Amino acid sequence: MNWLSISSNAFIIAFFLYCFSFIGFCIAIGGRRWSNRDVEAHKKRWARIGFVLAILGWVSHLVFFFTRWKGGGHIPTSNMYEFMTFLGMAIMFAFIVVYLIYRTALLGAFATPLVVIIIAYASVFPSEVQPLIPALNSIWLKVHVTTAAAGEAFFAVSFAAALVQLLRVVDFSSKEKSAVRQQRGVEWVLIFIIVIIGFLVSVFGFRAGGYSAEFRQENFEIDQQGQELDSVQSVKYDLPPIVAPYNSETVHMTSFLGMEQPLFEAPSWMNGVNAGRKLNTVIWSIISGAILYGIARLIARKPLAAVIHPHLDGIDPEDLDEISYRAIAIGFPVFTLGALIFAMIWAQIAWSRFWGWDPKEVWALITWLFYSAYLHLRLSRGWQGTKSAWLAVIGFIVVLFTLIGVNLVIAGLHSYAGV
Amino acid sequence: MFQNTKCECGHQNPTGTVLCEYCGKPLVEDLPLDSPLEMRYDGVARRSQKDNPALIDRVWNFFSSVKIAVYLIVITLIGAAIGTIYPQESTFINLDDPAQYYRDTYGTWGAVYQALGFSRTYESWWFIGLLVMIGTSLVVCSLDRVLPLYKALSKQQVRKHLTFINRQQTVYKAKLEQNPEEWTESFAKQLKRKHYKVKIEGTALLAEKNRFSRWGPYINHIGLIIFLLAVLGRGVPAWHMDQYVSMDEGQTKQIPNTNYYVKNEDFTVEYYKDEELPDNLKGTARAKLYETKAVLYECTADCDDPIKEPVLTEVDRHDIQVNSPLSYKGLKLYQYNYEQRIRLITVKPMLVDSRTGEKYGPFELPMSNPPLTYTAGPYTLKLSDVYPDFGMDEQNRPMTKSRDPNNPAFVFIVTGPGLDESGEIYIYFPLPNAEDKQLQQMINASFQKSGNNSGRFSFEVGKMENVSFSEYTTYLNVRVDRAMPYIWVGAAISMIGLVMGFYWHHRRVWLRIDDGILTLGAHTNKNTFGIRSEVAGALKKTGIEVDPKALDNRRNTR
Ligand code: HEM
Repeated sequence: MNWLSISSNAFIIAFFLYCFSFIGFCIAIGGRRWSNRDVEAHKKRWARIGFVLAILGWVSHLVFFFTRWKGGGHIPTSNMYEFMTFLGMAIMFAFIVVYLIYRTALLGAFATPLVVIIIAYASVFPSEVQPLIPALNSIWLKVHVTTAAAGEAFFAVSFAAALVQLLRVVDFSSKEKSAVRQQRGVEWVLIFIIVIIGFLVSVFGFRAGGYSAEFRQENFEIDQQGQELDSVQSVKYDLPPIVAPYNSETVHMTSFLGMEQPLFEAPSWMNGVNAGRKLNTVIWSIISGAILYGIARLIARKPLAAVIHPHLDGIDPEDLDEISYRAIAIGFPVFTLGALIFAMIWAQIAWSRFWGWDPKEVWALITWLFYSAYLHLRLSRGWQGTKSAWLAVIGFIVVLFTLIGVNLVIAGLHSYAGV
Repeated sequence: MFQNTKCECGHQNPTGTVLCEYCGKPLVEDLPLDSPLEMRYDGVARRSQKDNPALIDRVWNFFSSVKIAVYLIVITLIGAAIGTIYPQESTFINLDDPAQYYRDTYGTWGAVYQALGFSRTYESWWFIGLLVMIGTSLVVCSLDRVLPLYKALSKQQVRKHLTFINRQQTVYKAKLEQNPEEWTESFAKQLKRKHYKVKIEGTALLAEKNRFSRWGPYINHIGLIIFLLAVLGRGVPAWHMDQYVSMDEGQTKQIPNTNYYVKNEDFTVEYYKDEELPDNLKGTARAKLYETKAVLYECTADCDDPIKEPVLTEVDRHDIQVNSPLSYKGLKLYQYNYEQRIRLITVKPMLVDSRTGEKYGPFELPMSNPPLTYTAGPYTLKLSDVYPDFGMDEQNRPMTKSRDPNNPAFVFIVTGPGLDESGEIYIYFPLPNAEDKQLQQMINASFQKSGNNSGRFSFEVGKMENVSFSEYTTYLNVRVDRAMPYIWVGAAISMIGLVMGFYWHHRRVWLRIDDGILTLGAHTNKNTFGIRSEVAGALKKTGIEVDPKALDNRRNTR
């Protein structure tokens, strides 16, 4: 066995351990009402099981990381697959730290699935070890990426705690306007998560089925010297093409449910073949998310948030508020150091300017400004409780946009290949 | 608003005071009942809360409001986000007509975006204005608070008003079974073991730790101010330079607007080997490392003399790679890019007499700054014209397309034995491609037709050793950034402040015993969970069992 195969096995083990850990935490919370049990003892026991599994999963994740480092010859944080798995590992670390301070099983029940989703998302990307381009071959880059991810990981834990807090305090019996708004808001966050799950389900589903389609697009461009450039690009789809790239022709396409041709073509302002593919992916995610959500609603017959809500009554919202805030308080300096200061040092050395207003840099700054607004609002405007929980939820969405959205929507110097 | 600022304990407080500076009793009548007290600056008055503000006070008040600060932060955030919708103009190296470009590439929205100036967001007056306002706000806000807070914290009373204690976040109230003095002593001992500084006055107690962490935010803000000033300072021309120099191998060039010259002695690229590449990239050339062996010279004499060659003295040398610039006295040379482009450096051609087959020379012909005369055997060649990038204009006359030596051509006047006094004219293309050779023949033939030469001579390089060429052109980015040290200092101070403020927490415990009733209040600026378990732990050691959660005074409020 070589290092890389040990590494990928460790990854799979970590993935399953995280799933089991999630189940453990769920039993700790949901099983409290099971008959003839000492509630406290039950909770303690299962929370401990969940936590031990989480630690084991994390250790396995570490094995994955270091063996891949050894086998690949450089620290595995240099493409999207590696970065997202690293982020998952960092979130697990942040969770362990926060759990050791506050010891709430609830946090586990929300943080572990987050990690599972993130490393599943990572697996969508090609997992081959890739050679580094010279600019990436710097110690500062390693330091920058790892600390930035660590800071973001604490924001992720804060998000988990804030989401529990919202699910816990939103009043589902009330018909008042503000309560209804909160109910909808929480439900939309859940829908957002389900759409991401829908994305994963469709990608892995069609990948397992071996689906493929290919398109060719011819491009005319007039360059700055006034010469006509004619380029042909082709793109492979893993998902059945509901939308084909703008002005493209089909090279080949496996038929899907009798669908032989793409249904639509992307609008003209979506430049390039990849824009069409990304739009197609988004449409598939929403469709599968909607199906998943529909099924869940059919079974539950009420909003999903209202299903989860009653299971959360054992914990004080104040404690959740504190956990969410504390995670941000721990993460903020780490994030500042990693995502801004180390990034500036590296940019200064590699690109001769510490700051270049590259979209990725700008979004790191936006994230930082957002959390500093959060801190100021909390400190001096007394924004605590639900208000600050909403900010923590939105903050993590900003983080995700910085990490993933910028690559998908806006490309810049940092862009890794995106799905 | 009229407010009585004289407390019942007799202390006269400044206007704007919320909690009596002396005993802590709330002075503002309309504080919400039974919610914990707002402890932010220990309730002291700040400058921005003065009566009858004059204009300067109003400006001060504006910038001292955290609400305004948050607005500024949020507006900056939104502005920065808008700037990422389309690429900024500054990311294009040469963009002649931005309006046209944005319209063509991004359609109507792009045109609107460009017209509104968002394609230059980060250089725009409003964005820089926001940064300046944030800076002002930082200074004013910090000054407005740090001094009063400092005063309040350095003159704390031990015995506080009962209302003050009762309305802290963390409160414990019970009848004390033990002797008050003895219990207070033993409780103080427990707190001391947790590194509290404890003061006792009879049966009143004040314990405090990590006060320094309160200065964290202010230190952070000072760092941010220094950082911002440094960023604005980069706008000063003398502090900032940003130039690009491109050099073929062996070439020396002046760094524009400086006294420095840089030479590219050699440029090398190393590519990934096939076995290092994953399957989908095998067979492609992927650069692993590239490097310019650079020498930096300073001009020491004849620098601005157009006739003489400048005298250069070597001051530094370095193998410049992407993550390893050459750095000399604040001047930094970065590897910016490279291009594979064959360029001749010198050739040593021979003059061939096609009548006799005899060859003369070789003579050395450098591509840049060629001398005016050459000798080849008995013949003298005078350079009459040089076309670094040979081309023909509309009337089929020779011209040079650019100043780059892409396709050099030299026109010589040959004189010597058996030739006319005025000499014969020949053109020479040193690049060894067929097209050029053909062109050379054609032009020389046309010279012959017009009587400018007899067609007797041609040129020949012969062996490869007679040609030296550069395979790559390297692009260096030359920077001076005198603000950088301040940038790093600001960032470092800011980080220190953040760590101080977030990883240590200021904690205080007050208690007093009145008629056997113990009233204890505790306050922290962060981590109430921690202080509750600390207080509960200390109480437990003195024989009072209490669940940390029961200490939370916020239960009844939301
Ligand atoms: C617009 C200008 C700003 C003003 C006027 C301002 C003002 C303040 C004030 C008054 C405090 C309260 C300090 C205390 O009571 O202990 C504070 C705290 C803080 N500020 Fe700022 N600030 C500004 C910008 C920033 C920025 C851009 C950051 C970015 C990191 C920042 C980071 C912090 C932090 C981390 C704290 C401590 C928060 C906490 O302890 O929860 N400030 N700021």
